[in-house]
Amino acid sequence: MISNEAKKEIDFWVSKYPEGRKSSAVMQALTIVQKENGGSLNPDLINDVADYLEMPAISVQEVATFYENYNHKPVGKHIVRFCHNISCMLNGSDELISYLEDKLEVKTGQVSKDGLVSVKKVECLGACVGGPMCQIGDQYYEHLTKEKLDNILEDLT
Amino acid sequence: MSEIEIEIDGNLVKASQGDSIISIADREGIDVPRFCYHKKLSVAANCRMCLVDVEGIPKAQPACSTPAANGMKINTKNDKAKFAQKAVMEFLLINHPLDCPICDQGGECELQDVAMEYGSDVSKFNLGKRIVPDKGIGALIQTDMTRCIHCTRCVRFGAEVAGIVEMGGTGRGEDVKIEPFLTEGIQSELSGNMIDVCPVGALTSKPFRYEARTWQMNAVQSVARHDLVGSNIFTQSYRGKVKRVVARDNDSINETWISDRDRFSYEGLNHESRALKPKVKIDGQWQETDWQEALQFAVDGIKNNAKNPDQLGVLASKHSSLEEFYLMQKLARKFGTENIDFRLDQSQLSIGSSLESSITLKEIESIDHALIIGSYTRLEQPMINHRIRKAALDGASVNSINSKNFDFNFKTKCDALTSPQKLFSTLQSILKAILLKTKKDIPNDLSKVSPSEIHNAIADDLITSKNGVIVFGEHLNSNPNSLAITNLIAKIALTTNLKIANLTLSGNSHSAEKVNFIPSGKGMNAMSMLNDNSKAFILMDVDCEFDFINSKLASDCFNREDVFVVALSSYDGNASQSNADVILPMASFYESSGTHINFDGLVQSYRASVKSPGDSKPAWKIIKVMADLLDLEGFDYVDSSQVKDEALQSSKAQYSLNEANIQSVDDSQVTTHWQYAPYATDNVTRRAKALQESNIGMIDRAYLSKMTAQKIGLSDDDLYLGVPISIEESVAEDYVFVHTNQARKA
Repeated sequence: MISNEAKKEIDFWVSKYPEGRKSSAVMQALTIVQKENGGSLNPDLINDVADYLEMPAISVQEVATFYENYNHKPVGKHIVRFCHNISCMLNGSDELISYLEDKLEVKTGQVSKDGLVSVKKVECLGACVGGPMCQIGDQYYEHLTKEKLDNILEDLT
Repeated sequence: MSEIEIEIDGNLVKASQGDSIISIADREGIDVPRFCYHKKLSVAANCRMCLVDVEGIPKAQPACSTPAANGMKINTKNDKAKFAQKAVMEFLLINHPLDCPICDQGGECELQDVAMEYGSDVSKFNLGKRIVPDKGIGALIQTDMTRCIHCTRCVRFGAEVAGIVEMGGTGRGEDVKIEPFLTEGIQSELSGNMIDVCPVGALTSKPFRYEARTWQMNAVQSVARHDLVGSNIFTQSYRGKVKRVVARDNDSINETWISDRDRFSYEGLNHESRALKPKVKIDGQWQETDWQEALQFAVDGIKNNAKNPDQLGVLASKHSSLEEFYLMQKLARKFGTENIDFRLDQSQLSIGSSLESSITLKEIESIDHALIIGSYTRLEQPMINHRIRKAALDGASVNSINSKNFDFNFKTKCDALTSPQKLFSTLQSILKAILLKTKKDIPNDLSKVSPSEIHNAIADDLITSKNGVIVFGEHLNSNPNSLAITNLIAKIALTTNLKIANLTLSGNSHSAEKVNFIPSGKGMNAMSMLNDNSKAFILMDVDCEFDFINSKLASDCFNREDVFVVALSSYDGNASQSNADVILPMASFYESSGTHINFDGLVQSYRASVKSPGDSKPAWKIIKVMADLLDLEGFDYVDSSQVKDEALQSSKAQYSLNEANIQSVDDSQVTTHWQYAPYATDNVTRRAKALQESNIGMIDRAYLSKMTAQKIGLSDDDLYLGVPISIEESVAEDYVFVHTNQARKA
């Protein structure tokens, strides 16, 4: 179920598009609903969004599976989005990702046992100058080393 | 559009500005390979197979999405075009499995054909191939999505033609999958066309799976008989059995589509309950016998029981062929009875024939307004509904007056929710609104009605429409005031100068009307035959359990000791066995030659696709021999085409719209309307296994409003007449709409 607050937020985005073009707000709606649901989507929510925006459920599913920023499995409170493209890779991102996996005892795409962190490999985030890098929430962390990662993880609550 | 001249492969060709290159090439018979382009669907240009060389443009262009311009020089076969096409083919084959030997599409596969010409014999790709898990999508379509090449024809078909977006492309890049969101199976009544549009073996026919290879089968041009459209089809048979039905192009009738009912009903032909041998009932025991004895038994029974010729009644299914109708009524009339009828499911029998349609299928596409009265057109007449949908997409407004807000696949403007008992007064107030608005005299009988807001809105649309149509359908059949309602519809159409589409009688009913398969003079109609002291009946393809509006009355009548019943039947089911005294096994659909007259009045003949099983015979031959044994003259036919020629000579009886007596209906009493789900409408379809297992085939619900439910004391989990109920907002008050595949119980 979409909460009334979320509906209000979705309506704000719907109002930005011409009359009868509710479906244009599908990406914002999915983002809002995903946030409310603790960071991931599920088929029921996809259906709810489809009903609310009066569009076929499969069309919502198409959008939700096309973009990387929608998750279809439960995620941790924080998602470490680790870049593994060329600049980061050359600077040792693969090694850091393995380190992270070992430390948290997870594989990429999984959630740590305490439910706090999940790790995701992503494509270039446009910070090649600071590789290897990752994004947690709205924050970029650049020039990463094992020590830096330890500190970052310690700060996550 | 201005005319232009272009050059394709060295030929100068005239075309219209804006035509795509591929459509011009198709017209000129130049073969351009393609997967995603389909003439009836929008252009997606995502397969890139139709790349051609356009002079002056450095890169090869997709022929489907490139409009032709004056003076364009196009090469579809030079090195540049071939190189581009071969490169695309190589990419398409990267992930496509090489399982043609076990693929049902093998032999009729567009990918296979194009790969023969454009593919290379060795793949450079040596990595793992992609595998896509299958989500089941129902009983009709088999999926093998690993074979999918993402042309999106099925996705576009759903969005553009079927009007229900069910399939979609999820994921991205290498991970793209074509799949439905829900796993409950496809809901569309036209879903089988996805099989036809799929260029590979990703979507194939489920009941046809592994039955035969396409080159082994014998294809015969035929005509589908389940609705008023008479869709053109090919039947494909193997070793004397119909294995598959596919669409045959005919732009004025079914375009390139057919309904699922037409496509999958053939399974009923191979049902185990087919009547294979003539049977007679002696002292309550059924005995198999030969034709001669059975026919003699039948004729003797008729002669002995119907001492007066008018004690014989003749009833036929509305799905019979023109020839069968003609011979049957000829036999009856020569025998001396006028008790002839095919309108078994109507409460007032002249409504079907009294008001003729005044619009053609093709014209429906260009209407500017439609008013649908008492019809769920989508499931009753899928192909006619498809035309209405096309008009609606083009901007036509559609209003409906139904007892439930049906799930049409187009948008309706006003839906006047009206129970059957209030339909007459609703139409009265709409007529009054029209007369008031156009400043015409108000007749006395309308003085008391006062149009409501929604009636005024509907009237407004009818008045402003220049080229509209009033469509009325099967819900009127059981209305106690159907004749008076038909009268009113005629008046409304006359006042507003609109056309009429009468969909009340389906199947081949136009043929029945053509040869007067209805009583004249003192003859009795279907209902009064059952009430009266008839002594003998001849039934043709009639199922007492399903086909009569009052099945109890029918079976009580047929079961009476002194009534002798001859059943010409393709099936040897319980119902026909218990009611009849003789069963004469007759050929079913596609097993005998015949003629269908469709909504437009178009006469379409077809020949037999396969021989009928066992000892069963085409009905026209059975009737002919029976007539000979009854010593009736004029039955010296050698083949069915002679019957057809004679039948077409007959002049159709003209009906006038008599002023009908209006029956007073108690508004406050709960009425029940029993409508058959679309796959329970005729003997063959009822026995088609896959259709019955599909979503539409399993329709079995009684819909009623909350108020009505309280009134008759029902709650969510209850049954109403053995049908699970659904309490919904969008149902008229004091009314239960039973939509089911079960035999009628009310």
